[in-house]
Amino acid sequence: MSNSDPVQIAPQSLRLFHQSLFKTLVYFFLLILVLAGAYKAIPLVIDALFLIVIAAIMTAVFNPTVDRMESSGIRRSYGTMLVFGGIFTVVGMGIVKGIPALLNEVGRIKDVIQQNAATDSLDSIMTDINLKIAQYVPGFQLDPDLISSMSAQFFGQLGSILAGALDTVATIMFILIITMFFLIDGKRMTKSLIGMVPNQYFEMSLNITYKTKKQLTNFLKGQLLAALGVAIQSIIGLNLLNWIFDANISGVVLIGSIAGMANMIPFIGPFMGMVPAIIVSLFNNLGDPVAATNFYYIIHIIVMFLIVQLIDNNVISPIVVSGSMEMHPLTVILLILIGSQIGVLGMFLAVPAWGISKVIIQEVYQGLKGHHLI
Amino acid sequence: MKDTDKVSYPLYDSFKDKLKPKRSQAQIALSQVDIFSKLSWQEIKIVENAVHIRNYAPGEPIFKQGDPGSGMYIIIEGCVGIFLDIPHQAPKQLSKLGASDFFGEIALLDASPRTAAATAIENSTIIGFYRPDLMDILKTKPALGAKILIALSEVLAVRLRGTNVELVKLERKLESLMTAEDHE
Repeated sequence: MSNSDPVQIAPQSLRLFHQSLFKTLVYFFLLILVLAGAYKAIPLVIDALFLIVIAAIMTAVFNPTVDRMESSGIRRSYGTMLVFGGIFTVVGMGIVKGIPALLNEVGRIKDVIQQNAATDSLDSIMTDINLKIAQYVPGFQLDPDLISSMSAQFFGQLGSILAGALDTVATIMFILIITMFFLIDGKRMTKSLIGMVPNQYFEMSLNITYKTKKQLTNFLKGQLLAALGVAIQSIIGLNLLNWIFDANISGVVLIGSIAGMANMIPFIGPFMGMVPAIIVSLFNNLGDPVAATNFYYIIHIIVMFLIVQLIDNNVISPIVVSGSMEMHPLTVILLILIGSQIGVLGMFLAVPAWGISKVIIQEVYQGLKGHHLI
Repeated sequence: MKDTDKVSYPLYDSFKDKLKPKRSQAQIALSQVDIFSKLSWQEIKIVENAVHIRNYAPGEPIFKQGDPGSGMYIIIEGCVGIFLDIPHQAPKQLSKLGASDFFGEIALLDASPRTAAATAIENSTIIGFYRPDLMDILKTKPALGAKILIALSEVLAVRLRGTNVELVKLERKLESLMTAEDHE
């Protein structure tokens, strides 16, 4: 019987239709299953990605040290172990010596604030400040509850950060383990991943990966060195203020460290670094009759931080921070606002995260343009 | 004693075979390239870990003319054509390369655009050794990196000398042509 016979064609096409309908239904159900699985898995994937991203950043920070050790003949795995030994020693010493002192200091300042808030000393400080301001700027008045509300918020958040940090020891361990694997086997992993790229985009991908890695390492190294520089200068400066002007600032190392970390946020960071020092000195000088009538010690602190910024902006940053991180002030404010939705940590991470993304986007764009793909 | 008279010891021979170092195709291909020929097998193994082995189908471009140069290629097996794109004309084939041949080595030192295109003529397995790989070796194994750079400089120096000889020949030819023209 010929194929053109209409009696034969009809059941065949019906069977084909049934087959394709069955296939479509199977694919549809499979798609729903995959989507449902993905929906359930997304939070897990995001958590895992977060750990991997932090580990990758840590790898970028420690990789040059491991590379240097390897170049001097030490095996990569041994070099990584040495680096981790160093990290654990520093962190361990910090925990054993620093944390109790730090918690003591935080607790003491918190107590001082609570006591003074209870005895209305804060109100008298604010009245004094407002009187001083009125001499120079008539009609301008600060909110009388400004210091108490700001300090309560600050210490409340600091406490939650510390509590959160203690709760996430397991997460930190995970990050350290992933970092260790990245440091030892990262090159092989990158090679395998790039190996999957089609030939057409291979050279470009390799170049982009290399340049991004280099820029990222420089950026992070620069940021950390600048932060360390600001922290050390602030600690020295605050000690000098205590020594020369008897500024009565306690918790100098903690305040210096906060100033160093805050410095990673352009424009706003330096001012954020000043705030704890001013608050601490204000409350440490509560009972002093001389300090209660003039606030020169606050001006000293502001001048000291301005000098630190001057040295950082003109000497340290030009040497250690990559010039590719130029950002518009409005971009920084927007980023900090977005980051603040996550919390204090979000505010700290928003600008560096944008900086890293900017480097990656720039490199990908230049790579695509260079290979005439856009 | 003739070869045929040699007594065979199966146990010894199998033991000897097992002890014989096994070289991969990539290692053998690398050892035959001028730039790596002076390296020890151990060093070649380090280079092998850094390079990328890629497979190309016939007609597939390896790189195009004008692409930013990022590394050299060594043919393990197959055949590659080097083509010059001429505007409004079919690409002109400059050369045809086979197993153990290498090309694009200048791109290891310089990122300027490729002056010609390379396309696989038949199914080819090719080693790609790129600038990032060389930089990585220089950073982690400086002594090996220096050996590769010296060998690369030697290859380029030989080529430059050859070009100079050709240039002198051409200058002489031009001078003689100009003298002949003056006499006429």
